[in-house]
Amino acid sequence: MNIVPIPPATGAIHPNEEQVALAMRGFLADIGPSSALALDSCIHCGRCAEACQFYVQTGDPRYTPIHKIAPFKQAYEREMGPFAFVYKLFGLTPKVSAGELMQWQELLYDSCNMCGRCSLICPMGIDIADLVEQARHGMYVGGMTPPDFLGVLAEKEKATGSPFGMTTQQLQDALHDIGAKYDVVMHVDEAEAEIVPTISSIDLKTYPSSMAAIAKILNHMGASWSFRTDGFDADNVALTAGDREGQRKITLSIVEAAIACGAKTLVMPECGHSFTEMRWEAANAYGRDLPFRIVQITELLAEGLADGKIRVNKAPQNATYHDACQLSRRGGATAAPRVILQSLGVELHEMEDAGDSNWCCGGGGGVALIKRAQPLRDKAFAIKKRQVEATGADKVFTSCSGCRQTLDHGGKATGWNKEVASLLELVADNLRD
Amino acid sequence: MQNADDNENDDNTLGAMLAARGIGRRSLLKFAIAMASSLALPPGVAPLMAANLAKAKRRSVIWLSFQECTGCTETLLRSSSPTIEQLIFDFISLDYQETLMAAAGAAAEKTLRDAIAANKGEYLLAIDGSIPTKDSGVYSLTGGRSNLDMLKEIAADAKAILAIGTCAAYGGIPKAFPNPTGAVGVEDLVSNKPIINIPGCPPVPEVLSGVLAYFISFGKLPDLDERKRPLAYFGATIHDQCYRRAFYDQGKFAHSFDDEGARQGWCLFELGCKGPTTHNACASLKWNNGTSFPIQSGHGCIGCSEPDFWDAGSFYTSLAGGSATGWRNAGVAAAVGIAAGAAAALAARNKSRPDPEDKP
Amino acid sequence: MTLLDFARGPAFQASVLILIAGSAWRVVAMVLLRRKPQFAAPRHGLPARVGGGAATILSRFAPRRAFWPRIAVSVVLSATFHIGLAIIIFGGAPHILLIRQLTGLTWPSLPKGVIVIVSGVTLASMIALLIRRLNHPVLRLLSTADDYLSWLLVFLPVLTGILLSGETIGGYATLLALHILSVELMMIWLPFGKLMHAGLVFAGRGLMGMNFSRKGAAT
Repeated sequence: MNIVPIPPATGAIHPNEEQVALAMRGFLADIGPSSALALDSCIHCGRCAEACQFYVQTGDPRYTPIHKIAPFKQAYEREMGPFAFVYKLFGLTPKVSAGELMQWQELLYDSCNMCGRCSLICPMGIDIADLVEQARHGMYVGGMTPPDFLGVLAEKEKATGSPFGMTTQQLQDALHDIGAKYDVVMHVDEAEAEIVPTISSIDLKTYPSSMAAIAKILNHMGASWSFRTDGFDADNVALTAGDREGQRKITLSIVEAAIACGAKTLVMPECGHSFTEMRWEAANAYGRDLPFRIVQITELLAEGLADGKIRVNKAPQNATYHDACQLSRRGGATAAPRVILQSLGVELHEMEDAGDSNWCCGGGGGVALIKRAQPLRDKAFAIKKRQVEATGADKVFTSCSGCRQTLDHGGKATGWNKEVASLLELVADNLRD
Repeated sequence: MQNADDNENDDNTLGAMLAARGIGRRSLLKFAIAMASSLALPPGVAPLMAANLAKAKRRSVIWLSFQECTGCTETLLRSSSPTIEQLIFDFISLDYQETLMAAAGAAAEKTLRDAIAANKGEYLLAIDGSIPTKDSGVYSLTGGRSNLDMLKEIAADAKAILAIGTCAAYGGIPKAFPNPTGAVGVEDLVSNKPIINIPGCPPVPEVLSGVLAYFISFGKLPDLDERKRPLAYFGATIHDQCYRRAFYDQGKFAHSFDDEGARQGWCLFELGCKGPTTHNACASLKWNNGTSFPIQSGHGCIGCSEPDFWDAGSFYTSLAGGSATGWRNAGVAAAVGIAAGAAAALAARNKSRPDPEDKP
Repeated sequence: MTLLDFARGPAFQASVLILIAGSAWRVVAMVLLRRKPQFAAPRHGLPARVGGGAATILSRFAPRRAFWPRIAVSVVLSATFHIGLAIIIFGGAPHILLIRQLTGLTWPSLPKGVIVIVSGVTLASMIALLIRRLNHPVLRLLSTADDYLSWLLVFLPVLTGILLSGETIGGYATLLALHILSVELMMIWLPFGKLMHAGLVFAGRGLMGMNFSRKGAAT
């Protein structure tokens, strides 16, 4: 079955019959035993709502996480569930309608960061965040992804591998420019390298200092390393759009680039979803075990600080740390950032609910890309602001550029006086030779 | 409330008959007090009962035994020592009773016809045993005539019918699955006469004498429940009056026969006692003139005065348990479920593609 | 056949068989779907992952500190109900008797007075849960006929059980028949609605625990 997605809608969304049918097929394509169990288990306890920043801040019950995947569940029950033929025969579950899909676009995209707090609170062990990701697959093939999301970014990304539509040459030039500006030796497209760090387009555009920081640290470690322009775009917008094929294509390009230069370690940048995607799904896309290990940059830094390959001066200051959802709660890299902060002598004022239960910044899962979702995102951000301010710290460290950008924008919009900083850059700025 | 027809001086009254045997008014009054109490009537009724009994005439009773084991007759009509209850039976004119009467054969049949003719509309018809209905009732014949036909004919001229024992009342043991003779109780065949059921396998003897005493005194049947049983004797369950009830409430149960709990006289619920669902007077009146009853002897009540007690599952399965379905059936059910689930999954499998590159 | 005979006989057998067949159907239909292979290198070996799955089954009974304030009412009411029901079912003498008849296993029962008090508390918690479900905006949005039917099918056994053990209202035989029939209705519906969570909860928590232990992530 070859699902061919309809070109994305721009402007008003009125899905036609064909789109609805494609969306349904897209919904069903993902369902295996664990998705089926997840879709089958909900007991309507309502606790997931209490974990979701969007419900908590608005009181709107439509933002209840399990409710966001209602059309997905409906499709499953009607077509693939244990009692599907009974439901269909007696009309117990109606067909998913165009109107429903229209309504659910906001619920599946604008109001979900796929942060996983709901999955953590669910007493039935349903990974709701994962169901949202799967539901987006159906929405995508039905052409129901929000226009500013997909229309601008993913298309360009698919064509050129970057949401900003850069060619290989442009990318090489950009990297060398960064090297020149920050006075750092850059290795780009080397034939052989043991460590391959990947590039996030947010960093390229907004935080080029972090690309310099990686280079500086890897040089400091004396490692054999190289950026690969044939495998970058770590922030994989196709994933958050719901484009399975695009997601897979980008993931595989990174894998193949690493294999091409014989890498032993693939380093994911300060980015949330890229880590969970590469670390936990890349091998599955590849179809077999990968010949290299995958770490997030904070894990690499923590390792280096522990075994002495990275040497730092102390940089005493008081700060708090924002856990990126995909790195800590979903990815398992909660401890590494704290090791780093401790090594640098930072006086860490943990926020309330720090660590695995931390609140999302509000920008994850692609929500930051949706213009019309701004008011909603601001409401979610208010929680983070409260958390940060309660610590009394002057500075917020984070290790995800998506969070960094959201904290920056949110901070400016609400007028807070905190500094938002990158953990990676903190290390790079305090290296000791 | 009807009084007897004749005045007290008539020799044909119960009072005269008792006086002739040296049993005076005071004894009759004592008997009436005991009867009134047993029937749960107010104590003030006793003098009226005594007066009525003294004036009462002999009531004709025709007793037909159908598909029975004769246990009811044995229990009720034989006694080890004569008591006033026995004298009641002497006072009723038991005009026809196959086990007790001397006549047999054609003479017995003549007795029956004569008794019916002489007391048309007034005789009490007592029945023990169930009535087979299958194959025109050929499974129980008396003198070549089916009990089914006999009942229809003889009930027509009766004043009231006493269905004695669980067989006559509800069909009893012959009715147990698969009921090869099509056995039923009297009430399933007769609908136009007052019927009183006195169930039990066999019934408690004092119940019959109490009912007769009431009928003789007041000319009608005592208050009945929805199963046509006298409320005075069947209004409560064994459980309600059981002397081991305290142990039930405390949760002290015998777990097996002759275990420590059984020896301590604890409740027999776990050993299958059907006391809670059985209406009868065994726990209060007991048997053999108040000697004992099954629970007191260490065996649970088997519910013998209730309809279909034989088909209600094992006597030793408690009320909390049911008839288990057996592992074989459970296995079949699981197999059916697995097959249905596999079919559903197979139908569904074509709709999913774990890998975006999967081609059909 | 009286109502009680029906409840203890054919109805009991039918409801057990439907429960078995329906549950097998539902589980097998999910298990046999196409599964995705897992090639990503796990952070922990299999024994640790299985342990993580088992630990998650237990840990989800008590919510994390960060979540507690917002869901305290839900957790307390739900725990009261579930624990109460467990005490009634596994501590009540007639239930232990039924289990003994079916499996041979037995254990000491709790005093009847305790069971009656716990039943009252359980009933009260169920009523509170129903009121909450009817009023809370999230629950009103999510709830379906299945939620209310399932509530009723659990409420009736607890209610008829209290009435039966009190032996003050209604006849023993009738109440016992109604109690048994109400449980049988629940058993018949169980494989087809949300009551199946009695079994699915272990699978869901266990699989999530194993999956996230694999990632070394929060369970």
